[in-house]
Amino acid sequence: MSSTSCKQVDLRGQICPSTLLIALREVNSHKELLRSGEGCLVFLSDNRSSVTHISDAVSSMGYRVEVNKEEGHYRVAICGA
Amino acid sequence: MQTPLIIMLAVGLLLGFGAGYVMHRSDYCVAGMFRDLFLFRRTLLLKTLVLLVGLSLVLFELVRLSGLVTVPFPFFGPPSGVNLVGGFLFGIGMVLAGGCVVGTLYKLGAGRFPSLLALVGLIVGSTLYAFIHPAWAAFSRMFALPTKAVTLPQLLSLPPWLLTIPTGCLLLGCVVVWFRQGTLRQNGVVDGYLQPWQAALWLALIGTVSVLVLGMPMGITTSYSKAGAVALQAFSPELVAGIPYFQLQPLNYLPPLGGGPLTGGPGPALDGVALVQFPLIIGIAAGSALSALLLGEWRMHLRLPWRQVVSALLGGLLMGLASRMAPACNIWHLFGGLPILAMQSLLFLAGLLPGAWLGGLLLNRLVMPAVAE
Repeated sequence: MSSTSCKQVDLRGQICPSTLLIALREVNSHKELLRSGEGCLVFLSDNRSSVTHISDAVSSMGYRVEVNKEEGHYRVAICGA
Repeated sequence: MQTPLIIMLAVGLLLGFGAGYVMHRSDYCVAGMFRDLFLFRRTLLLKTLVLLVGLSLVLFELVRLSGLVTVPFPFFGPPSGVNLVGGFLFGIGMVLAGGCVVGTLYKLGAGRFPSLLALVGLIVGSTLYAFIHPAWAAFSRMFALPTKAVTLPQLLSLPPWLLTIPTGCLLLGCVVVWFRQGTLRQNGVVDGYLQPWQAALWLALIGTVSVLVLGMPMGITTSYSKAGAVALQAFSPELVAGIPYFQLQPLNYLPPLGGGPLTGGPGPALDGVALVQFPLIIGIAAGSALSALLLGEWRMHLRLPWRQVVSALLGGLLMGLASRMAPACNIWHLFGGLPILAMQSLLFLAGLLPGAWLGGLLLNRLVMPAVAE
């Protein structure tokens, strides 16, 4: 998947549970793009709880989720199943 | 300082440190438990609270039966309708602030900027309460329930173990069922993740040691008023001296380790409240900070949408006010009051649930942008 088709959203430092709420809204508003496999969403978050919840919730919606730790935060990449 | 008091101070620091470390590793956010029940229909964390309360019911009762500690603990009193109102307002505040009184501390320890704002709000709200205390105290007396009993066993004139042990076993039985169903675990994708049920076990043990050594469960909210009183005193000692709330001494008890009676209140003095609560506060923030540093996750991002700035400040302020009106916070009532079946805590919980629901609604409608900014 090319990086140009990925939308990155920086959610670091935000109040709970905005990270999770915004991530879920973004996933819902980019459903078709994700399902088509032509794009992906990347969230940067330093909220441990939200990273776990996003991964859990989005996996159960049938998407592929990849979590990687970067400098002081987590990178959650979501793409079509 | 006498040896028993030094031991209390050191143990308080250690208990706080352990609680902060554990809470950061599992992100054991009590505000999140109640908020997520309504916002996301998630019940996993609430189930671990059932484990914490169930285990504490049994452990606290064993401590009481040993004769080492007196139950009910200091600060608890007969129930009043204000416990319900306080719980309701606290529920709204903790959701808007992004964490409860203890949650704010462990998140601040890990470098979260919104929690710093919430802490400022908490201290301001706890201090503002001093100005409305006479009216609120009258209100509290007006809506006092017609009993002098503090706990359910006292109300029903039953030996405490007859209610606490079966209730604890019933709750733990539910936990065993959830455990077998696999609904108590979640897939941890972050480094050093501690399952919330493990955090609940640790926190029940920490609470029990607190009861054994400090003579009461973990509680910290009176210190926020104290911090406000200290700040006010720097500007106007006459003002602080003239406010009746800052002259109160609600803490007056004999600590289990000895050393004579310990007294204290929300005023600016370094008294029994400071001795019991300050080490816990420092410990929680330090324990969480160490956990975050060891994981390489300590960062403070100062960039925050303005709506969230307002939410954290106002939520903290409301929570501070409510923690004095209730009186006390969710950790005190849920981790410490429910396990002795304190009626104040049962009313607080009954108010907290609709408060958290309304807080979630306000957060979703007013604080969250339609899409990411």
